[in-house]
Amino acid sequence: MSASTPTRTTNVQQTALGPELHVRVGPVARALVRRSLVAITRVPSALVPILLMPVFFMIAFTGSYSAITNIPGFPTDNIFNWFVPYACVQGAAFAGIGTGFSTARDIETGFYDRLLLAPSSRASLILGPVGTSIVRSSFPFLTVLPLGLLLGADFPGVLGLLILAFTSATVSIMSGLWALGVVFRMQTQRSLGLVQVGIFATLFLSIGQVPLAVMRGWLHGAARVNPTTNLLRMARQGFLGGVTWELTWPGLVAAILVVSGLGLFAVSGFRKMEK
Amino acid sequence: MTDLPIDPSSTIPKKAIVSGHDSGQAGIGAFLAMSRRAIVGFYRQPSNWVVGAAFPLLITAVSASAFSRSTSLPGFPDADSFLQFLMAGTILQGTLFGSITASTDLALDIENGFMDRLLASPVSRVSILVSRLAGAATFGAGITVLYIAVFTLFGAKVNGGLAGMLVMVLLSTIMAIGVGGYGAAIGLKTGSAEAVGNSFPLIFILLFMSSAFFPVETMSGTYKTIAQYNPISLVIDASRHQVLQGFDLGEATKGFVIAIAFASIMIGLALSQLRSRLADAS
Repeated sequence: MSASTPTRTTNVQQTALGPELHVRVGPVARALVRRSLVAITRVPSALVPILLMPVFFMIAFTGSYSAITNIPGFPTDNIFNWFVPYACVQGAAFAGIGTGFSTARDIETGFYDRLLLAPSSRASLILGPVGTSIVRSSFPFLTVLPLGLLLGADFPGVLGLLILAFTSATVSIMSGLWALGVVFRMQTQRSLGLVQVGIFATLFLSIGQVPLAVMRGWLHGAARVNPTTNLLRMARQGFLGGVTWELTWPGLVAAILVVSGLGLFAVSGFRKMEK
Repeated sequence: MTDLPIDPSSTIPKKAIVSGHDSGQAGIGAFLAMSRRAIVGFYRQPSNWVVGAAFPLLITAVSASAFSRSTSLPGFPDADSFLQFLMAGTILQGTLFGSITASTDLALDIENGFMDRLLASPVSRVSILVSRLAGAATFGAGITVLYIAVFTLFGAKVNGGLAGMLVMVLLSTIMAIGVGGYGAAIGLKTGSAEAVGNSFPLIFILLFMSSAFFPVETMSGTYKTIAQYNPISLVIDASRHQVLQGFDLGEATKGFVIAIAFASIMIGLALSQLRSRLADAS
């Protein structure tokens, strides 16, 4: 079909700028998400970081650090209540790294050039991978959570579960945007090392392992200003007592600010790559 | 092998060239040359070892601050600080991370065809393998000295003094050779550097399910049993004893027995893979 004869059935719209054609954002983004999910079924090893690693970390952390609940100031006496939500959020962050990997591979193999040449909306080329991150973040959520509940975590209530799911999705968007911003700038799979370092550092320098009340020294100061701390507080609240607005709104503010900042980072990286 | 062109000026006996076994001075010379190549090749690429050396220190910096109050928990060993407790675990962690990277070089030799040239040369097969582990061994020793210096700088000291430090360096070196052997076995089996890299999670799991980051005495249930009998724990505990309690030959010997047994099994595994590879090629 000729590109100069758009019809309704092609789902293509002519822009005010002239002959340039743009397919709407939604269908392209959905197609990219679908493509990425099909790729996972063809390369099952891609599931290792988002399925097995969070499960392993949950088992390793709860096993190694089970005694830390005895430290005065620790908010629960059940170590699973502390580490299960953390493992879900961690898995969501790894999901974003996976998205970065597949985008970098597409850039290296030249497939991304074809996407750029296609009459598709530029926004879909960012929203598609971000959508993939969100879908991928559901995998660790659906494996870690049931296993954690089976091993002894308390049921956080429906609202607690929804808030954990929301936080996981938000973290996957953040890590996906961070990965895209780096990959668009460096255009190689090697750049994923930097992406991983950024994500690991953000998770480590937060209340991932112990609450602020238990920390001492420099980490306390770093964790206090790290937005991930507010996100983890929001994610854990259902497991540690009950959902409250006091623990929710700082997480929402952190989510909005970080997603906006990393969104700008990814978009500016995309523009640099286009040039 | 008998079709190989033999340089008439070669000092290596013809019989040795044909059988693939060298002997005496020429054999030692070839072994040293290959070891030197392995060491230089490993350190020439900082990406090989910088991350492996820096990452455990980053984890330690975070853990020392996060778990500093854990030293007062019932059952926690008598330590000046959590940082001092972590020293032995961090050293072994750095050793294992770097050694697995060093062992990917053998797989790269297979991928780029250099291994075939080595096998066609009159060099002992054992030398080819063992010399490749030299990079891992020097990394194990070097990282231990570096980490002891860094920990001392931040106030964590080795109560065992120089003798204790020597035990720690030797234990790390032997473990590095063992992990290098494990990586070499996978490299020889698959001929793929990527496969060696992908085998890393097993080392990671062994390390996590040990006493590297927290004392076994404070753990409970099945996890405690696994950590207690994990050979990594036994080596770390021997090393940790030199840090916390002071030099103890009995504890050191326990560690050496485990480390040497581990290294022997892994090198044996690698040699068996090398033999299989040679049999397949012939």
